Amino acid sequence: MNEHVPAEARMGNDIARQFAHLPPAQAAEAIAGHIERFWDPRMRRNLEALAAAHDDSLDPLLVDAAGRLAAHASGTS
Amino acid sequence: MSTVDQQSIWDPEVDFGTPAVRGAESVTVTIDGRAVDVPAGTSVLRAATEAGVAIPKLCATDSLKAFGSCRMCVVEVDGANGAPASCTTPCADGMVVSTQTERVRDLRRNVMELYLSDHPEDCDGCARGNCEIQSLAATVGSAEVRYGRPESRQQVAHPHPIDESNPYFAFDAASCIVCSRCVRACADTQGTFALTVEGRGFDSRISAGGTDFLSSECVSCGACVQACPTSALQEHSIVELGMPTRSVETTCAYCGVGCSFRAEVRGEGSDAQVVRMMPSKNGGANEGHSCVKGRFAYGYTSHRDRQLSPMVRDSIDDEWRRVSWDQAISRVAEGFTAIQSEHGRGAIGGISSSRCTNEEVYVVQKMVRAAFDNNNVDTCARVCHSPTGYGLSQTFGTSAGTQDFASVEEADVILLIGANPTDAHPVFASRMKRRLRAGARLIVADPRRIDLVRSPHVEAAHHLPLLPGSNVAFINAMAHTIVTEGLTDEEFLRERCENLDEYLAFVRDPGNSPEATAEATGIAPESLRAAARLYAEAPNGAIYYGLGVTEHSQGSTMVMGLANLAMLTGNIGRPGVGVNPLRGQNNVQGSCDMGSFPHEFPGYRHVGRDEVRGIYEELWGKKLDPEPGLRIPNMFDSALAGTFRGLYVQGEDIAQSDPNTQHVEAALRAMDLVVVQDLFLNETARFAHVFLPGTSFLEKDGTFINAERRFGRVRPVFPSRVGKDEWQVVCEIATAMGFPMSYDSPAQILDEIAATTPTFAGVSFDRLDTEGSMQWPINDAAPHGTPTMHVGEFVRGKGHLAPTWYVPTTERTSRKFPLLLTTGRILTQYNVGAQTRRTSNNVWHPEDVLEIHPADAELRGISTGDLVDLSSRVGSTTLRALVSERMPAGVVYTTFHHPVTGANVVTTENSDWATNCPEYKVTAVQVGVANARGDAAVAQAREPAETHA
Repeated sequence: MNEHVPAEARMGNDIARQFAHLPPAQAAEAIAGHIERFWDPRMRRNLEALAAAHDDSLDPLLVDAAGRLAAHASGTS
Repeated sequence: MSTVDQQSIWDPEVDFGTPAVRGAESVTVTIDGRAVDVPAGTSVLRAATEAGVAIPKLCATDSLKAFGSCRMCVVEVDGANGAPASCTTPCADGMVVSTQTERVRDLRRNVMELYLSDHPEDCDGCARGNCEIQSLAATVGSAEVRYGRPESRQQVAHPHPIDESNPYFAFDAASCIVCSRCVRACADTQGTFALTVEGRGFDSRISAGGTDFLSSECVSCGACVQACPTSALQEHSIVELGMPTRSVETTCAYCGVGCSFRAEVRGEGSDAQVVRMMPSKNGGANEGHSCVKGRFAYGYTSHRDRQLSPMVRDSIDDEWRRVSWDQAISRVAEGFTAIQSEHGRGAIGGISSSRCTNEEVYVVQKMVRAAFDNNNVDTCARVCHSPTGYGLSQTFGTSAGTQDFASVEEADVILLIGANPTDAHPVFASRMKRRLRAGARLIVADPRRIDLVRSPHVEAAHHLPLLPGSNVAFINAMAHTIVTEGLTDEEFLRERCENLDEYLAFVRDPGNSPEATAEATGIAPESLRAAARLYAEAPNGAIYYGLGVTEHSQGSTMVMGLANLAMLTGNIGRPGVGVNPLRGQNNVQGSCDMGSFPHEFPGYRHVGRDEVRGIYEELWGKKLDPEPGLRIPNMFDSALAGTFRGLYVQGEDIAQSDPNTQHVEAALRAMDLVVVQDLFLNETARFAHVFLPGTSFLEKDGTFINAERRFGRVRPVFPSRVGKDEWQVVCEIATAMGFPMSYDSPAQILDEIAATTPTFAGVSFDRLDTEGSMQWPINDAAPHGTPTMHVGEFVRGKGHLAPTWYVPTTERTSRKFPLLLTTGRILTQYNVGAQTRRTSNNVWHPEDVLEIHPADAELRGISTGDLVDLSSRVGSTTLRALVSERMPAGVVYTTFHHPVTGANVVTTENSDWATNCPEYKVTAVQVGVANARGDAAVAQAREPAETHA
């Protein structure tokens, strides 16, 4: 049941589950790529904040992807 | 031809008597001394009409195969005996025909006398000009009737009461000549077989299966009324308003079939009234056919609920105040500007409508991108076919169906999945049924036993009642069967596709076999294998799908799975095959094409592409945001988070149509400024601060694009009843916000679209008016449009075979919610019902009902007609039960046409992973008999059936 999960976590987890068959690093990059292409920047920042706060509702692949998004945003990758 | 020219006269389409023959070699015949070249097989009647020689006829019409019963069209042929009926006589090379000899004139006069002997002299239709008998009698010279003639309808041989049960037309047997045109139209054109001829000889009469029309199987498509040569079947509107004085060619505003109509009208200017809607024979999508909505359900355009003035209020608890357009537009512009000043430029956005024209939609996205200075624009396609956009773009390279509708006539096997065309796309369904009656095989994959599974003269070879939520497991099992049994098109895969090895390795995995997926799908493996073989081995296999594919948590994955299946079998790039989304609303395709998504400009080009953004920045003189904006559900979430505070909604009722109503309403309540532009004060308007009256399709000047990518002209029957066109209002809001936007006409807007979008480069009002509708791409490579896409090469080059991993939805049944709810549509209502509920279509569907399997009903003590509570983890509602075996045990079904039911109170926030299209088709629910309180509440809330205004 999803009603108490933040929207970015719910939607991000849905994306993560679609790429879970890939090797972890490849999956995280694919998840980050999808989110970067389709999500509004404020939603990406919200996701990064959830990951930074170690929100336990996030799929580990999504946490990895959020880190990559933050790195992309800061120009460190 | 200009719009004005097309409106100036009533000029009914010529009836050539029999259908055109296509593709045959030409033959030359001589008719009354005139040489005529026609395709071999063309009837003499048609050849004569094409040559300008009128032959009297009664039982013949060019939408139906020749019947040869009335004997009015007799002619003489040199060298032939007797006087053959010209409708059933095919032209042969060198044939010499005479149509006006004394012999045939005598024959016609005698035949007409017999007809007149039982046709009342006081026939209203004859007097009005809507009955061909009187004029034909004059034509053939039947001045006297030797056998006498009934003076009134009461004196005919077998008088019957007039059947006025249908709300739109009446049947008066007294005026009927039993020519069978109605019976044949119902069978051959519509494919319903509701009408028959009862009795024999002089006692024969037309019957709707022994009952009245309303109680019969009749679907009220009106094909019989259109076919009737007398006034036996006649629209009430003809009686009430009289015959039309002019006609306007336009496009229907209901489903994505996009039928062409001639709006037949009396009066001019704002006094004009539509007398009837006649489907155009030349309409590429419908070829002269229509459904009950398109032909009859236009009364909402003048319904008393229609709002004609701008209105404002300070709070949603206040009463509305009428204001001038200037005041309303100032309020919108100042309100949005103030929100942006306080909360940032991303705090506002807009939603465009699939019921509006391309030109209206285009200016909305332009207003958002340039005046709002963000990309927070979305469209109602978000909640229906956004996965089609994603899935077909990933695999084929563009977001559109691959075929024209005519393609189905060359299909040998049709895989129909998650679609119910006889209800949602009825005119296309008639075309499909015609092909099925001619021998094509049908596979239906749907939890519900839809009408096409078994109906008169149509029976599916396979009905696979897959469980809701298991689509991807199902399509993988189909692909597994095709690959492992060696049924693929090796040459097609090798030459036209990429990622072959990865995909084949994926799909060969035993985990994708029909046996391994049977628990998820609920489909017997051997049935699935048989269906896969049937599709793969067909010379032409065609896929048609609807929202039962897209409205799932893996909607986009499933669309890719369908594309994979077509590529595996080489069923792409020619007539008779393809992957065909049946779009829900009239301009879903167009609204998506016109850049309504927050990440794409018109033509599906990402906002992050510098070269694309540059086109618009140069033309509009404004730097544009390279980041994607908020989708509709993201707008709601952001509103509740406080970062999104102002919304413009064009012609959509998100408070009724979008899932999890409580969540949507809370989001709307949280906003500082909600602006609704609509015909009616809809559910969303309950949360609005500004109401801007919109225009109906009868007032619009523009274009729609239907599900087969066809640009069709929408032409105004009368001027805007609210004083402005919708595109003007949007331009004025943008201008008031500091970004000047103005056009002289909607034609100029389409010119801008064409100039900036390569796919639409060749389209213009002028071309559509002179050459007729055409399908995109329309450009130098395809100047007359593209009926079939991906011929020889995919838009993206190679077709991409994408592994489609099955990931079950998180929405599961439980002890508390043990049933699965899936939602859909019904023939007579449309979407949220804003239009059709304001017509007499309510006669057929006055309320939403819950279909429930007898076993589930018995377990709960539920009988048909009982009020039941339907509850999910997010909400509950009350509606009446219909115990039915159409649903499998464990699955219940309802529609969402009535706000009093509010089916979306129970649907959840779950959505497609790629596009956020809601998972309407899978909601875990419980059903129980409603208590007395629920009964009273529903009784109080239920609207009275509203009638045609």
